[in-house]
Order: sequence, then structure tokens, then C-alpha cells
Amino acid sequence: MSELAVERKTKKPRLNWSKKTKRSILGVSMVLPSFLLLLVLVIYPVALSVMESFKSRDGMWTLDNYLYLFTEPHMLNNIKHTLQVTVLSSVFVLTIAYSIAVYLRFNHSWIAKMVGKLYFIPMFIPGVIAIYGFINFYRDNGWIARLIGEGNLPSIIYDMKGLLMINIWFNIPFTTMLLVSAMSSIPNAVIESAKDAGAKKRHLFFQFIFPLTYKTMLVALTFLFMGIVGSFTAPFLIDRNAPQMLGVAMQQHFSSYNEIGQASSMAVFLFLLCSFVGYFYIRSNMKDSTKSY
Amino acid sequence: MSIQLSITNVTKLYPTGEGVKDINIDVRHGELVTLLGPSGCGKTTVLRSAGGFIDPDEGEITITGESVVNIPPEKRPTAMVFQSYNLWPHMTVEDNLAFSLKLKKMKKREWKEKVCWALALVQLSGTEKKHPSELSGGQQQRIALARALLLQPKVLLLDEPFSALDAKLRLELREQVREIQAREQLTMLFVTHDQEEALSISDRIVVMNKGKIEQMATPQHIYNDPASLFVAQFIGRMNFLKGEAAGNALTIGPLSLPNVKHLSGEVTVGVRPEDVVIANGKGQGIPAKVTKVMMLGHYAEVTLHTFLGVLKMFIDRNDIDHYQLNMGIAVTFTKVKSFNGQQVQMKKEEISL
Ligand SMILES: Nc1ncnc2c1ncn2[C@@H]1O[C@H](COP(=O)(O)OP(=O)(O)OP(=O)(O)O)[C@@H](O)[C@H]1O
Ligand SMILES: [Mg+2]
Repeated sequence: MSELAVERKTKKPRLNWSKKTKRSILGVSMVLPSFLLLLVLVIYPVALSVMESFKSRDGMWTLDNYLYLFTEPHMLNNIKHTLQVTVLSSVFVLTIAYSIAVYLRFNHSWIAKMVGKLYFIPMFIPGVIAIYGFINFYRDNGWIARLIGEGNLPSIIYDMKGLLMINIWFNIPFTTMLLVSAMSSIPNAVIESAKDAGAKKRHLFFQFIFPLTYKTMLVALTFLFMGIVGSFTAPFLIDRNAPQMLGVAMQQHFSSYNEIGQASSMAVFLFLLCSFVGYFYIRSNMKDSTKSY
Repeated sequence: MSIQLSITNVTKLYPTGEGVKDINIDVRHGELVTLLGPSGCGKTTVLRSAGGFIDPDEGEITITGESVVNIPPEKRPTAMVFQSYNLWPHMTVEDNLAFSLKLKKMKKREWKEKVCWALALVQLSGTEKKHPSELSGGQQQRIALARALLLQPKVLLLDEPFSALDAKLRLELREQVREIQAREQLTMLFVTHDQEEALSISDRIVVMNKGKIEQMATPQHIYNDPASLFVAQFIGRMNFLKGEAAGNALTIGPLSLPNVKHLSGEVTVGVRPEDVVIANGKGQGIPAKVTKVMMLGHYAEVTLHTFLGVLKMFIDRNDIDHYQLNMGIAVTFTKVKSFNGQQVQMKKEEISL
């Protein structure tokens, strides 16, 4: 330590350098733990899966697994189905959550207050229990069917409709919460001065509320996409047997057919899908970071 | 001159019981009226009622003779500069300024010209492409002012528009606003809690306290003849002394002055520091001891200790040599204001000295 002090006195430029180094060492040492965790829990398994996906059952390098994924008709159907469910669910959830958030921001009635308290209830009900209740409620001979007469109810359980509904149930709370916080960070004065300048309701929405919240909406969309595209429990319990969502198909290939390579190729494909969406999310974040608001 | 904005018997009480009661203000065309009062006295409430952001419980508000109480803010011929968060953060300065012009379907060349004019007016030309977050607080307030001016309102409402500025800029901008206002014949209702600001730019001042109007008059009138003890305490500097009123006489220690207001009993007497003078022989003065002499620019302040309490006295800076510490003198008052009752204790920050 004292040596360093002497050095400091005599060589000024050295001082800057050593400070910089110290700083970067500090930086690295702060990032290191999370990086190691990432390495062990994410990067290593991902690398393993990627390798697995290029191997045949007898351990030879091959592209067969991907060929299977992208040419086999029922796999193509699965991919299509997965994307369809994900996109539709995301759109529904986002629309509903955004409407709730706008309503909560600009309405101060007691109903709004109730809605504000109720919307995150689904978060506190364990998923499997919710699904079980949902099935009992909506299946072809469930409570609703008994109430309105069996046969009058379109089939919801073991159908995409049911899956979309349960996705909405699961995803509304968090998405709404994100959007509500974005809405409430719009100061009243912004809205009021816009009105003062002559903005009507539609101007208010399209030129103020929407641009001030769309970034959060993108974040919400990213989370929704990633959460739904790889979901397993809900599609496994509620969806039809074919086509399946990729999460379910993967599990089947893995444990029922023991096709580890094929299962891995599906995993890699899902991973790429998510990275693609994540890339857009990060890019839009980077682009607008100068006008921080 | 015709009355541009008229606020009649307006009452607005919040659920907490605070608010404003029975407000009556008339603002003539081309007049700058200031709402002045301590924090929380209801200035913003009055202003927001005029702008349409608050529905008053009772009362009438008219602009050029037409009632506006049922007109929403987007249709009212008013423009408001808010106390905070004025600019739209997602828009550039230019977009902020041009928003209302574009709503009016103005041609691009025309609005560009107007934006240019407004920016030059507030001395911020060249900031068109910046976002509000890239401007300082004072610059943001100036842009907000420019934006409000571009609305060409019949009444311009300003809620402490200069509170974020440093003293010098504040002074400059205040003068500018007054100049623009006079030149363009703008009708303005201006909120401030700074008495100096109010005194310097207003045609008339409305002094408010606890949701009520204490006095409404020209700056000179308010300064020379405060209607209540509160106004006297709030505006300018004043010495307060205990006095006794009976019949035609007002006695303050050894001094006896005419009882103009015909008060009786114990009264509070207010004396401006510039109205404290040396008693020169005639009659008796109040004996006083000089305890401090402070040079304050073109005048000096002398602190005196008397048996009635501490007195402040302003003297010409050329006379400063006549006052030595611990010197004994006798003073009298050229002008006093008497008020019924005891002086109200105010918090330090409420009396901006
Ligand atoms: N939305 C509200 N709900 C309840 N009380 C309020 C509300 N707005 C203001 N008040 C109360 O009404 C009183 C007057 O408020 P107002 O904002 O008009 O004060 P002000 O004179 O503008 O003060 P300042 O100089 O601090 O801005 C205050 O006591 C305040 O607490
Ligand atoms: Mg205020």
C-alpha cells in the first residue's frame, strides 16, 4: 500500500491508469458471480442441448433432427399451432390488459377501484388448481354445460379456445401491472396541458398516452411471447392431442419416444424464437434511450 | 376597458375541507393580475378553476361575457402554464410548440414560422430538435411559456412559471413577460408566492390567505395601505408594535398619533422601515439604541433596540456615518398603519422577506 502511495506521488499518469484498472477489476468482480451462475445454469445446458440436437441416436453428427422438425407434416403443424396460440394469446392479453390500464388511469369511480384490486387475483391462485377448476367449469359436461344444457356449449376444453382463455387468465395480472405502472407515470399535467392545447380524446390517446406507454407495451409483449411460446402445463392439460404446442411435443419426444435429439432440436428452435424476440426488445430499448422518459 | 375574465362567488372545497371560498376577481382586457399568497392558500385552485381543470362547487366564471363553467379545458379560450411537468416528454421542442397549431390544420410553413417566433421570444432559438429532458428546468419553463403564448388565448393563466429559475433569469423573464403582455395586450392571471415579483409586474394584486381574498388592489395601494394585518405582514417589510387606541388618539409608547381608523383598545401598529425617522426636537421620540448598521446597496438598514421591541429603519446610504453602534437616538414615525388585535405569528418561510 505504501509503495503505491509513493508511486502515486512521483508518477501522475500512473495514478489514472491504476484507478482505471481498479475500477474495471471491481466491475468484473461484481459481474462475475452472476456470470458464473449464468454459465452453470444457462449457457452450459444450452450448449449441451444444441450439441444434442445435432446428434443421432447412435451419437453421430447429423442434421436429421432438424430435417424432422421442419419437414414432417405433423411437426410443421405443431410449429404453426404454437405460433398461432402464442400470437393470439399475446394479442388478446395485451388488448385486455391495456384497456384495463387505461380505464384504471382515467376513471376514479368505485368500480375502477374494485377492478384495480381484483385484477391480480389470478397471480395468487396456483396454476394447476386454476386449470383444474377451469376444466371442471368449462368441460363438455361441466358446470356451465349443466347450467345451459349439455350440447349448447361449444367445446372449450381440449380445444384451442380453452387454451387461449387460460392463457389470458394467467397473463393478465402481470401484464396489467406493467401497463398500469406505465400509465401512472404519465403526469397529470401532461394530460391536462394537452387538453389545454386543444387535444380531444383521440388526440390524447394516439399522441400522448400511446407514445408514452408503447415501450412498456413492447416489454410486456416480449414477456408474453416468451412465457406462452414455451409453456407446458396449460397446453398439456387443456389443449387437443394434435396439433400440440412445441413444449408438449418436446416432452413427449423426450420421455415417451425417447428421441432426445429431436426434443433438443425443438428446444433449440424455441430458444432461437425467443432470442429473436429478445433482440427486437433490446434494439428498441437501445434506440430510444436518448429521449429517456 | 372591458372585462375579459370574471370570477364570481366561486367556491371550491376539497373533501378535506380545504379549498377556496367566495372568490371574486375581475380581470380587464390587457391587464395582468397576480394571485399572491402563502403556500396552500388556494392560488392554484382558483387558476385551475379558470382553466377548466377544476369544477367549482359554486359560482360563475365568464370570459368576454360568456359563461365557461360548462366548457371543457380543450375548448376554453384559456392557456395554462402549469406549476410543474409542463412539457410533453416524448415530443421535441418543435413538436411541443407546434402541437396546437397542427391541430388547427395550419400549413407547415406557417407553423414553422410561428414556432421560430415563439422560440426567439423566449431566447431559445435553435432548440427545436431537442427533447425536454435535454433542457434545463428554466429552459423547459420558458418553452412552456412559449407554447402557451402560441395558443393565443383570451386569458393566459400562469402558475408560478418562474419558480425553477435562478434569481437573475427570473428577473429577466419577468420583465420579458410583462413586456410581451403589454405589447400584445394579453390578459393574464399570474400566480406567485413571491411578493417582490407580484409588486413588480402586476397591474393589480389579489392577496389570498387560507382560501379567501384578503385584498385586491394595485401594487402601490397594497403596499401603502394594506387592508389587513395579514397583508401588512405578507407584503414588504414592516415593524409591528403594540399600541393603544382611545378616542382620537393612538398611543405608541410616548408617541401620540391620530386614530384614523377609529379603533379602540389594544391595537397592532405597523410601520414601514422607511417611515421610521429621527425625532428632531418636536415632541418626544421613542428612545432607541443603535445595535446594527447594514449596508444594503442604495440604502442601509439600521437595527434599533427600544423598550417597545426591535425596530428596523431604512436610511440613505450617505447618512450611514451618522449612525454609530450603541449610539442613543430618538425616533418617530411619519406614517403608521393600525390594525385591530394582536399580530399573528407567521412561519418564517411564509413571510418572504
Ligand atoms: N386535489 C386536492 N384534494 C384535496 N385537497 C387539495 C387538493 N388540491 C389542493 N388541495 C388543498 O387545497 C389547498 C389549496 O391548494 P392550492 O394548490 O390551491 O394551493 P396554492 O396556493 O397553489 O399553494 P402553492 O403555492 O404551494 O402551490 C391546500 O391546502 C391543499 O392542501
Ligand atoms: Mg400552487
